[in-house]
Amino acid sequence: METAISFLPVWIVMFPMFMTLVIYYVEQRSEKMRNALSVGTSVVTFLSVLMLYPYMMAGEIIEYSMFQLLPNLEISFRVDILSFSLALLSSFIWMLVSIYSIDYMCHEHGCNRYYPVLIITLASCMGIFMAGDLFTLFVFFELMSLISYVLVVHEESLEALRAGYKYLIMTIIGGLALFFGIIITFELGGSVSLGGETLITVPSTLAFFAFISFLIGFGMKAGMFPLHVWLPDAHPVAPSPASALLSGIMLKTGAYGLLRVIFHVFSPGLLQEAGWMIILAVVAIITILLGSAVAITQDDIKRRLAYSSVGQMGYILLGMSIFTERALIGDIFHIFSHAFMKSTLFLAAGAIILKTGKRSIRELGGIGRLMPFTMLAFTMAALSMIGIPPLSGFLSKWTLSLGAMDAGLPYYVLVLLVSSLLNGLYYLPIIITAFFGAEPGHEHEQVKISEAPYKMLIPIAILAVSCLLFGLLPTNLPFDLSRKAADFLLRGGF
Amino acid sequence: MNAAHHLPVLAIVLPLVFAYLMPLFDRWRRGWCTPAALGVLAVSFVASLAMAWQVMTGGPYYYQMGNWPPPWGIELNIDYLAVFTAITMTGVSLVVLVYASKDLLHELKPHLLGWYYTLYLLLVASMVGMALTNDIFNLFVFVEICAIAACGIISIKSNKECLEASFKYLILSTLGSGCLLLAIALLYMVTGHLNFTYIAQALPEAMRLYPYNILAALALLLVGMGVKAALFPLHVWLPDAHSSAPSPSSAVLSGLVIKIYAVSLLRVLYQVFPADIFEVTPVLNILLWMSTLAIIAGSMFAIVQEDIKKMLAYSSVAQIGYVFMGFAIVDFFALTGGILHVFNHAMMKAMLFMAAGAFIYSTGVRHLSGLKGIGHTMPVPAVAFAIGALAMVGIPLTNGFISKWYLVLGALHDGQPFFAAVILLSSLLNGIYYLPIIVNAFFSEPQGRVAAPLPLPRQMQVPLIILGLGCLLFGIAPSLILGLIYRASEALLGL
Repeated sequence: METAISFLPVWIVMFPMFMTLVIYYVEQRSEKMRNALSVGTSVVTFLSVLMLYPYMMAGEIIEYSMFQLLPNLEISFRVDILSFSLALLSSFIWMLVSIYSIDYMCHEHGCNRYYPVLIITLASCMGIFMAGDLFTLFVFFELMSLISYVLVVHEESLEALRAGYKYLIMTIIGGLALFFGIIITFELGGSVSLGGETLITVPSTLAFFAFISFLIGFGMKAGMFPLHVWLPDAHPVAPSPASALLSGIMLKTGAYGLLRVIFHVFSPGLLQEAGWMIILAVVAIITILLGSAVAITQDDIKRRLAYSSVGQMGYILLGMSIFTERALIGDIFHIFSHAFMKSTLFLAAGAIILKTGKRSIRELGGIGRLMPFTMLAFTMAALSMIGIPPLSGFLSKWTLSLGAMDAGLPYYVLVLLVSSLLNGLYYLPIIITAFFGAEPGHEHEQVKISEAPYKMLIPIAILAVSCLLFGLLPTNLPFDLSRKAADFLLRGGF
Repeated sequence: MNAAHHLPVLAIVLPLVFAYLMPLFDRWRRGWCTPAALGVLAVSFVASLAMAWQVMTGGPYYYQMGNWPPPWGIELNIDYLAVFTAITMTGVSLVVLVYASKDLLHELKPHLLGWYYTLYLLLVASMVGMALTNDIFNLFVFVEICAIAACGIISIKSNKECLEASFKYLILSTLGSGCLLLAIALLYMVTGHLNFTYIAQALPEAMRLYPYNILAALALLLVGMGVKAALFPLHVWLPDAHSSAPSPSSAVLSGLVIKIYAVSLLRVLYQVFPADIFEVTPVLNILLWMSTLAIIAGSMFAIVQEDIKKMLAYSSVAQIGYVFMGFAIVDFFALTGGILHVFNHAMMKAMLFMAAGAFIYSTGVRHLSGLKGIGHTMPVPAVAFAIGALAMVGIPLTNGFISKWYLVLGALHDGQPFFAAVILLSSLLNGIYYLPIIVNAFFSEPQGRVAAPLPLPRQMQVPLIILGLGCLLFGIAPSLILGLIYRASEALLGL
């Protein structure tokens, strides 16, 4: 393989990082340039990831070792089909969100802080997905978690700072747990590379500690019960585009990390033999039911969406604990579909909040008549969340259920069904209120509320249409990638 | 014999001589004091680096003072650990002195400046001496110089708090010195030697004849050095002393002075006492549990502090615990981590104290809750503080991560995952007390005196920048210093 291509992962990570500095420099002079550069950077990053497509489809793996920190501990990159899928997804949604941010953020303070942080978080996210070893993954994971703190506390309100503090402490706990897991892996396996063979091959007490540590570290990020406590506070207080990224993409880094741990650090065989996966399955089921149930009680629209994220991440965690091919396909596909659905929902909610200033669901009566496109997109994504057939959420649930059946675990399907019912219970009222509810307030107030500007509508529309297309078409890119990635992981992942 | 051969003595004697010239300069040409002191430390630092180069290329060697051969003459042992320590001591103290040259004008009466330099140079000379010496009585002499000088640079700021703190320090430190002297006397009694190498040779035989004397010596040594290194629960003097002293003094005291005693204890334990004594007495186990307590208790105490310098001082109690833990787990990786942490913590803590000093210099605010929004008005010290805090928590790509990596790896390697968990728990506690400060600094609006701080002189900014970059550099490229430390711990463990 030519060297230019093997350098591409480094470029994908380093380019946004470098551009952060450029943006920081430029923004002192021109706001327009800052916005243009931010969007430009995310577009270029997306296109760079896309350039990997032919190589990935050919089943190649790109490896690049940057430098060695300590013996056997290095910063290295490795792109396989799973990394590529998630990097492609993230950079795509990042691109849309940065376009959306331009109009959304122009009413906000502190934009000069927001944009550089947005771009450097993109860089670290790319770093997580393209990491060639656990240490690199850990470095970028910490970088992303710590920097996204700035996004969480953007409002600097008391509420935001309190949520941010919770987030920060949980991040530190998660980071330390990961550190512990990684160092035990290093001690047992002599290396932390994801490219070599399975690192831990014998189930021992120490290996169990490592598994639990990874579960805490990555599970914390993925909003796994009982470590989800930060999520419903932190995601709603961030500005809406940031919430979309936090819920749509950054939660997935935890899921990605767990996939890597299950298939590269340990092996499905070992985990099944040792019976440790039952832990993940149990917490995943609790996460699903708890997230969905609590979401019903929330009146703040963004808080409801955040709890919904907890429930949906539970699906992904549950899918991981079943080692059948279809479950894994459904699992990875749900990462895609949840990313699309949840970012649509958060961006649409953001548009509504921007226009009306209202966050309470009860006050959103009749909003569907005032902002038809936004609400249409919201409806589509919400129906997809519930799992109505032609939408992508249905496809992922269907595949997950089939996978659970393959493994002879029909009660998992029951959990999925109950949770879908709960999803219906909290999403449908929003839609019903929006379209059929009475419009509150006085006449002159309603005149001001109009459809969101097109720079916000277009990203929302693209995401919503994707939710439809990925369910409607039997062969689409995300499903294809999920199938290939699942196959790749089950073959051993090397 | 060429000049390069005399580097070891140069590194000690030059600051020692100039220390006594400082009052003279002060009378004669006051402007010369600062450049002269800086120059002397720079020469010492370069000499230490040159010694490191000699040792790395030609192996460790001994230097005989005045050509008097041991066992009568004093011998300097230029080995890996010695040059590593000398580099740390001279390097960090040089950077701190740059900062001190401006900060002291603010904190001290002008006529005391020359005397401060005297004490400072004495302190550095004695620390380098302790690092290099191979003679236990010579060690004691340097320990005494160090104790008096350290006491001096606390009490030089003549307010009630400082005097009280330095008096407390003086009493406890003298107690420690007494223990140390008694230990030396006991060792001399049973072996007839003062030179480390000779004592080590004579001890196995003496162990058989006078086991109790040697055990008593060991205990006294542990207490003596423990008091001076502020090992929990012998740390009671430290928080007052380190928080009330002028900021540059706090930086060297917390960053360097407590470490040099730890390193001296390490050398005596590993190089003088025979390995089988540790099978008879659980000295290392005691040390391990004391350090565990230090790590947890130090962090706990730090959480409840309101004063920024007091918080940093308690944090030092915890961090010296890391160093001792690395020494007490007899494992190559843990020892490497412990020695590395001497260096890393010296940089971090000196930087944190100087950043805190900069806040106090410009705003007069010491109270943690008063520092809201300081990141907007004083970006350089606030960013330095943030880097130091992240390094304390052990975020990857800072130097704190590397020392933690080795310490945890050592604990796991030695089959003691409990101590690995202790280190992780303490990192969490560090996060709990350091991170809110950074958050307040950057995500609040500055008010009152914080909103309009005095401009910070360049001499106070540059040291912060140097150490901040150093923390990052040694987090990204730790191999710069690890080569030396690997060999030092190999030599200590006799690998």
